[in-house]
Amino acid sequence: MKKNYYLMSDGMLKRRENTVYFVNKDGKKPIPINKIYSIYAYGSLTFSSQAIHLLAKEGIPVHFFNYYGYYDGSFYPREKLLSGDLIINQAEHYLDHEKRIFIAKKFVEGAAKNMEKVLKYYHLENQISTILPELDGCNIITEVMNVEGRIRADYYRKMNEILPENFNFDKRVKRPPENMINALISFGNSMVYSTVLSEIYNTQLNPTISYLHEPSERRFSLALDLSEIFKPILVDRLIFYLVNKRMLSEDDFEKDLNYCLLNDRGRKIFIKEYDERLKKTIKHRELNRKVSYKRLIRLESYKLIKHLLGSKEYKPFVMWW
Amino acid sequence: MYVIIVYDIKVERVNKVKGFLRKHLYWIQNSVFEGEVTKSELEEIKTGLLDIINKKDDSVIIYRFRTDDAFTRKVLGVEKAPINGIL
Repeated sequence: MKKNYYLMSDGMLKRRENTVYFVNKDGKKPIPINKIYSIYAYGSLTFSSQAIHLLAKEGIPVHFFNYYGYYDGSFYPREKLLSGDLIINQAEHYLDHEKRIFIAKKFVEGAAKNMEKVLKYYHLENQISTILPELDGCNIITEVMNVEGRIRADYYRKMNEILPENFNFDKRVKRPPENMINALISFGNSMVYSTVLSEIYNTQLNPTISYLHEPSERRFSLALDLSEIFKPILVDRLIFYLVNKRMLSEDDFEKDLNYCLLNDRGRKIFIKEYDERLKKTIKHRELNRKVSYKRLIRLESYKLIKHLLGSKEYKPFVMWW
Repeated sequence: MYVIIVYDIKVERVNKVKGFLRKHLYWIQNSVFEGEVTKSELEEIKTGLLDIINKKDDSVIIYRFRTDDAFTRKVLGVEKAPINGIL
């Protein structure tokens, strides 16, 4: 089983004996190259070009996060899975307005239904199912985005009822997050984003052509699209779990910065549980076998490919538990 | 499946074996490696090892388990190399 490696401390990535070594102040630690799925670098990381050569050869992406835990970018090795056919179809579905808006709506629908499931788990009334049908009337992307925004606003308001009082928050604030929950959401979302990107790397999809988000420059916006569906499942539920079980407390945030940032300890706890969650399996109804959460993301990409190639209409993944 | 590989190799080749196994498995102690592998990866490991070792002098033992749940593992004293994805 390949796994994700999270480099939390400052150090150096070196190539030795045809595998990579992570060298930090505590010493050298060899990492078996065949066991690496992707690397998440949170500390300041130095690496030799030799190490990068090896990682590229093995097709291992490296995701970089800055000092504050924000996503900076990825080392995305040369694509090995290429399909001109699919790229053309991907672009065509973007250019054709009808086709694009269909997929965009599906992403919003998936995200909304998963949010609803999260609230349902805590027996909370919500407006999501009444706002969602408004999607049908939307003809332009900004309207779709608008519906999504309203669903999210309702959802975040409801989150307070699940969280203990000292963790309450008014609204979602980014850049910088103003309080603990916003900090957790931001941090978690950036992790999901890179996880999704790792999965897309392993398919023929081109990560720059997206549907809900505008495929702007310098971003892998398809990863943003697909993340929408998985954020409630992976991040929000994890936050409730960590906070309600008192695994994270105020001490795990930077006090000087108005609690807008996880500190080292908090980050480690979050990442450890996040990784556990990715490995957790559920019994898949259609495939009739056990599938990990990480695999679900890959399956979602495959479903999108099938839709783009016209063999099966895309239906977003919705939790059924 | 989960494998534990222990070996006793002549000095001149021992580093070669260690370097080779490092790519696939976790180093646990001197002459001990372990980790999760697929069937094909195990074959790869076996052929790789056979290329390096001298069948007359060296000895490698591979223990195979269905999963890592099939056994318990207890370390007395120092855990020399904890297997951990968070560094």
